[in-house]
Amino acid sequence: MTAVAARAQRAREPRPGRVREMSGKVGWGIVAWVVAIAFFLPVLWMVLTAFKPESAAETWPPKFTFSPTLAEFRLVFSGWGPYVTHSLVATVGSTILVLLLGVPASYALSVHPVGHWRDGLFFFISTKMLPIVAAIGPLYVIALKAHLLDSIWLLIILYTAMNLPLAIWMIRSFMLEVPSELLEAARLDGAGRIREMTGVIMPVISPGLVSTALICVIFAWNELFLALNLTVTNAATMPMFLISSVPQEGLYIAHLSAAATVASVPVILVGWIAQRSLVRGLAMGAIK
Amino acid sequence: MAHVKYVSATRVYAKDAPPAVDALDLDIRDGEFMVLVGPSGSGKTTALRMLAGLEPLDGGRIEIGDKDVTFVPPKDRDIAMVFQNYALYPQKSVADNMGFALKMQHVPRDERDRRVREAARLLDLDDKLLERKPKQLSGGQRQRVAMGRAIVREPKVFLMDEPLSNLDAKLRVQTRSQIAELQRRLGITTVYVTHDQVEAMTMGNRVAVLSGGKLQQCDTPRQLYDNPVNQFVAGFIGSPAMNLQTVPLTGDGAELAGATLPLPAAVRSAAQQAGLRELVLGIRPEHMHLANGAGELAGEVMLVEELGADALLHVRLTQGGASVVARAEGRKPPGPGQRVTFHVQPDDVFAFHPVTGARLAG
Amino acid sequence: MAVVETGAAPPSTVQIRPHEASRGERWQRRLPLLPALIYTVIVTQIPFLVTLWYSFQSYFWNTPAPAHFNGVSNYKTVFTNPEFRSALVRSVLMTVSAVILAMLLGVAFAVLLDRKFLGQGVVRTLIITPFLVMPAAAALIWAGPMLDPNFGLLNYLLQPFGVHHIAWLSTHALGSVIVVMVWQWTPFMTLIVLAGLQSQPPDVLEAAKVDGAGAMATFRELTMPHLRPYIELGVLLGSIYLVNVFDAVRLMTNGGPGTATTNLPFYLYTQVNNAFDIGGAAATGVVTVILTIIVATFALRMFARVFQFEGAAS
Repeated sequence: MTAVAARAQRAREPRPGRVREMSGKVGWGIVAWVVAIAFFLPVLWMVLTAFKPESAAETWPPKFTFSPTLAEFRLVFSGWGPYVTHSLVATVGSTILVLLLGVPASYALSVHPVGHWRDGLFFFISTKMLPIVAAIGPLYVIALKAHLLDSIWLLIILYTAMNLPLAIWMIRSFMLEVPSELLEAARLDGAGRIREMTGVIMPVISPGLVSTALICVIFAWNELFLALNLTVTNAATMPMFLISSVPQEGLYIAHLSAAATVASVPVILVGWIAQRSLVRGLAMGAIK
Repeated sequence: MAHVKYVSATRVYAKDAPPAVDALDLDIRDGEFMVLVGPSGSGKTTALRMLAGLEPLDGGRIEIGDKDVTFVPPKDRDIAMVFQNYALYPQKSVADNMGFALKMQHVPRDERDRRVREAARLLDLDDKLLERKPKQLSGGQRQRVAMGRAIVREPKVFLMDEPLSNLDAKLRVQTRSQIAELQRRLGITTVYVTHDQVEAMTMGNRVAVLSGGKLQQCDTPRQLYDNPVNQFVAGFIGSPAMNLQTVPLTGDGAELAGATLPLPAAVRSAAQQAGLRELVLGIRPEHMHLANGAGELAGEVMLVEELGADALLHVRLTQGGASVVARAEGRKPPGPGQRVTFHVQPDDVFAFHPVTGARLAG
Repeated sequence: MAVVETGAAPPSTVQIRPHEASRGERWQRRLPLLPALIYTVIVTQIPFLVTLWYSFQSYFWNTPAPAHFNGVSNYKTVFTNPEFRSALVRSVLMTVSAVILAMLLGVAFAVLLDRKFLGQGVVRTLIITPFLVMPAAAALIWAGPMLDPNFGLLNYLLQPFGVHHIAWLSTHALGSVIVVMVWQWTPFMTLIVLAGLQSQPPDVLEAAKVDGAGAMATFRELTMPHLRPYIELGVLLGSIYLVNVFDAVRLMTNGGPGTATTNLPFYLYTQVNNAFDIGGAAATGVVTVILTIIVATFALRMFARVFQFEGAAS
């Protein structure tokens, strides 16, 4: 065999170390998959149970095969109307308000910082650390007197205050990442504060804004405590719908699973699709 | 201390792509300072990493001492490496950085401290720097710590991956000689990678020139300069670069800018055997002698670079318009726009195959 | 040609202009901050002030009597009430165990996810999901389909290990709630630690390989010190959220059996909802806030590194 052909053949065969390498990788992958599926199991079980008829949902042993039905889902969808509307309004409304308030505030705490920016930042974070539960009684009384009880506006106001500190922290860290050369070039080109914000900063941080908005959406959609205590019917949100699906008596597991699935799926899907953005926002925004 | 051998060492990244390192055969003697030099993508860093065990081999083998280390993990090869960006352990002090490998070998603490202190002294690292963290050090200090980390191990082979590239010019020149001096003192076989041919020429006992994954020539700096084996080596080694021109063959030699430069018989017959009508002529700038109107090559000075001791003249030859660089006396070089003539000694002319680049005879 | 002089330069006679932002500039900088600042102050501080006010009042919703001042009697009750103290202890216990467990799992999962293998993206998606599930849904699903003694999945899966129809929410109520807390917050810890793992410079890890460190030694000597600020951040942020957990307690065990799973948030809730004691709840709330501030100050000082705010641009 010629030297060239020998070399070519050696290049085609897997080198001896490679087999050990590959099996190491595969083993690791198997462990990772097993762990992931075990961790995900409750969600899987929830979705599976949602398709069961009630008779098949509370059995021993638990059923893995059954004839699936959409009956529970139909029930859920016939009842969820007002709840999902309220959730959408409260979530989208508060997120928009958070962005409207948070972007300028982050700007004032990063790119062209105010005098005591450290104190300002600390103030916002400190509001997050104080338990909202502490003020729930007086909050109820205030809402009552202001005729805001059981109003979607109350939820929008409170959710905004709830998410604003986190949003400011995240957006600020994204703004700090804008290279200063970009800002200096814009300044040389004659851009004022507003142009700088709209023309340079916003485009660069738009992925960061998306991930911030996503996190606000997640927390607002999932929020239970305030909704439970301050709403009844006119502003009841999806978490309340979920609670209402647990009756005082009777079989309810399949119905509960269907309601839980429907309530959780929007945020889960959004989180899955925008995963990269979310991960980046959580990790990066949190780290800086 | 040991000799190092690359035997047909090959590394391929993608299945149908050309190899990053193509059947490299290199013999490095015990205690030798071998420089691997070449442009980026030449495979020099890959070859070094293969020796380190950080890249697997897809073909061939590597020997350290008399042992085949092709499948031996890095930690068992008894080598030490200085990385391009130093790769110091950020959370450890300088002393802990340097002593880390010894700690992994379970060397007792006092012996560890002694060796670290010794290495620090050798590298002119002040005692109070030993407790600092890398981020508190200057670039030059970090570079020395990286070297110290390697020295402390007293390995069989030193590997260095462009350790000077992050230093400013003045520090680079200073550190260059320090490294060469250190290696001479310690006598440890060293494989040093750089893209800077000046570094290669000044530091190496021998220099291996690589291009496109293949070894072009491995020789002493003098030999590489005086006897390049092909056009690539001739053009790569030497600064400013050798003037290379494709010229037609005539009866006794080659024709450049209207003048016939005589070629030795051996070159002519080699060209004839290869059926060539033209070849690539190489003339180093210092071999273009200003001839005061009597030289065979005539041209006009386009630009003068004054270096103090010499001057570099960028000349456009009148016939044919080729651009060449010539080295002239620094005192009173010709000015731009001036007409000059050059004389070239026949012995100073290199001839290369226009397609393969191989040196013709010589 | 200028003459170069050696020696000290003569003292400058040029007036050095003080460099200070003009008043207009300062207000221009403050303006964007004001809306968010004013909003937050109004929405968060007013309720707090009202809470403070009510904490000094006796105000019950189940009586027709109006609120009237009763000094520090509410506070006396808070400090002497054993229920408050046990809720406090339980809160600390639940938070600390959940944070530690979630972080341990988070590190383990992050290490798993840090390698390349087939379907890595899908695995990561599966691992993040518990964080996305509505906490109310998580609580109800774990309480019912997962942990029920008669038809729960967990009892079924643990059968081969000799487990028989355990009523988790009765006999291991606190543990069950903690499990759900850990389940939901492990992904958060995982992502933060994973960011830390992926920010390790690869050449430093190679240097360790060449220096003779095996996988365990590298992890112990290099990776863990590198991860420290990330872990601290995860612990800090996680604690802030976990100490306020309400959904799981309310929906899984309703604070019970008895008060076995009552944490501070739930205790406050019962004061308002069951005892209709606005004054007492307000006082409890104020005490909780003060305790939180004390703990947070300590935590911030301990984790000062984490809060090294990056310097802003001009």
